Amino acid sequence: MKKSKGAILIARNNGRLDYIKQAVFLAKRISHYIQIPVSIITDSKDYLLDKFDSSVFDDIIEIPWTDKNNYNRLFYDGSLSHKTAPFKNDIRDQVYDLSPYDETLLLDTDYIISNDLLKSCFDMNDDIMMFKESYDIAKSRNEKEFKYVSDYSVDFYWATVVFFRKTPENKIYFDLIKHVKENWNHYRRVYQIKSELFRNDFAFSIAIHIMNGFDKGDFVKPLPGKHYYTIDKDILWKIENDKMLFLVEKEKYLGEYLPIKTKGNSIHVMNKFSLERVIDKVANNE
Amino acid sequence: MSKGIIVLAQNNNKTDYVLQASLLAMSLADTNPGTCISLVTNDKVPVEYKKFFDKIIPIPFDDNAEDEDWKVSNRWKLYHASPYERTIVMDTDMLVLQDISSWWSFLEDYELFFTSNVYTYRNELVTSDFYRKCFTSNKLPNLYSGLHYFKKSDTAKEFYKWLELVVNNWELFYGMYAKENYPGRVSIDVSAAIVSKILDCNDTITNSKVKFPSFTHMKPKIQNWEQDSDSWQDCVGTYINKNCEIKIGNHKQNGIFHYTEDSFVTDEIIERYRNKLNV
Repeated sequence: MKKSKGAILIARNNGRLDYIKQAVFLAKRISHYIQIPVSIITDSKDYLLDKFDSSVFDDIIEIPWTDKNNYNRLFYDGSLSHKTAPFKNDIRDQVYDLSPYDETLLLDTDYIISNDLLKSCFDMNDDIMMFKESYDIAKSRNEKEFKYVSDYSVDFYWATVVFFRKTPENKIYFDLIKHVKENWNHYRRVYQIKSELFRNDFAFSIAIHIMNGFDKGDFVKPLPGKHYYTIDKDILWKIENDKMLFLVEKEKYLGEYLPIKTKGNSIHVMNKFSLERVIDKVANNE
Repeated sequence: MSKGIIVLAQNNNKTDYVLQASLLAMSLADTNPGTCISLVTNDKVPVEYKKFFDKIIPIPFDDNAEDEDWKVSNRWKLYHASPYERTIVMDTDMLVLQDISSWWSFLEDYELFFTSNVYTYRNELVTSDFYRKCFTSNKLPNLYSGLHYFKKSDTAKEFYKWLELVVNNWELFYGMYAKENYPGRVSIDVSAAIVSKILDCNDTITNSKVKFPSFTHMKPKIQNWEQDSDSWQDCVGTYINKNCEIKIGNHKQNGIFHYTEDSFVTDEIIERYRNKLNV
């Protein structure tokens, strides 16, 4: 029997950032570059149906709106501006159960697909793949933050992009992530994480470490391609098809930037405010 | 062909190396039952630990390190003291945490073997030369004598003859081969590296492409940490369960664990092994 496959995006607006807008934008790019159906998990279905073309989605999976478990965090918009907003990141562990697909590509809405590399996941034998290695497009910054979950702790894996098949082992893995999330204060202390803020990257990384028998291991295989990212102190300035223009913060010169162009690289754009401005520009030109 | 492990222990006024060797012997009995280990020492061995040693051997040819705190001047004698035809030499501050029988098979092809790759507690290859500036600046082979192997053979005998010569005349040899970052005191690692250079035998006594035989090296400044510390135990915890499985800061340890800090040997760890082995 042919296995169903598709991408899943999670969009829960927080009053400052429009994740629905980001998801609609990314869904179009996934359709263009990877040619797979895209479903959205959201607590704002009415808003999606009212304001956007929802036909870009194969399925809309509605979850109840809640402000439980929300933490406030800073969201930067370049190096000089930031806003505080709720960080609604606590349902990623449920994607295993919520996904309608046998083979799922889970993506953050701020991961801007610009090539077809992730299409090959569905042809590979590995049942779960994530990025571990990552590359800051600025090159000059300390990337150690994304090597370990903390200085003395375990390897860092990005929960930004996850490919998984529905297998009993992966079910255990997602249940384990849920357990880590539910006991976050315990796990963050055991894994020497100073911040109280729950982060999916950390929970996914800790669960991988446990699945690997508390050692390095190969429970999770690397995704095809490289994981490029820009931090939220950089600014996304322009997107034109597979080309992007960033203003990257200058080291030691607060508020000054260097332009960097990319072509054909999928990039994790952490400055979501600038991403939304660019999405608006693209929409206006369509 | 007889085979076994040998370890040299000489207590000083700070450290009970015989106790460390006994702990090592217990860890070996736990993970490699039946593997022989002999202790070379002039110190008294507690009666309850004697049964873990195949032989307890006095230091041959007098004690060259009698007046030293850093008692390494007798290390070259291990070749002569070993009762085995095939011998793995270990430091006392090590624990054997897994079955190493396959290592013996690998080592059959060698007459002498030194580890040249060691690992952090996170199972990452150590790339820092923080403690090995002398090696890099003088282009000495990166050998670790803390875990090495020899077969009684002409090759190994010649190597150890030279090692004796270098250790006993270290200032002369270090002046010739280790001028940069001059060690200031005798080191078996540096001395072995110099002998390897003199005999031009590095390619036949190590293999940087293999992961084992090797060990986890717990010196704090080579653990890929951003924060500086003089003691790894200030940074990550040690957890030992009833099965004597050890975790260091959430990382399960395998292979040979070189703990390097004397205070690692606590009553809890000793008791865990004693309970498991019914001592």
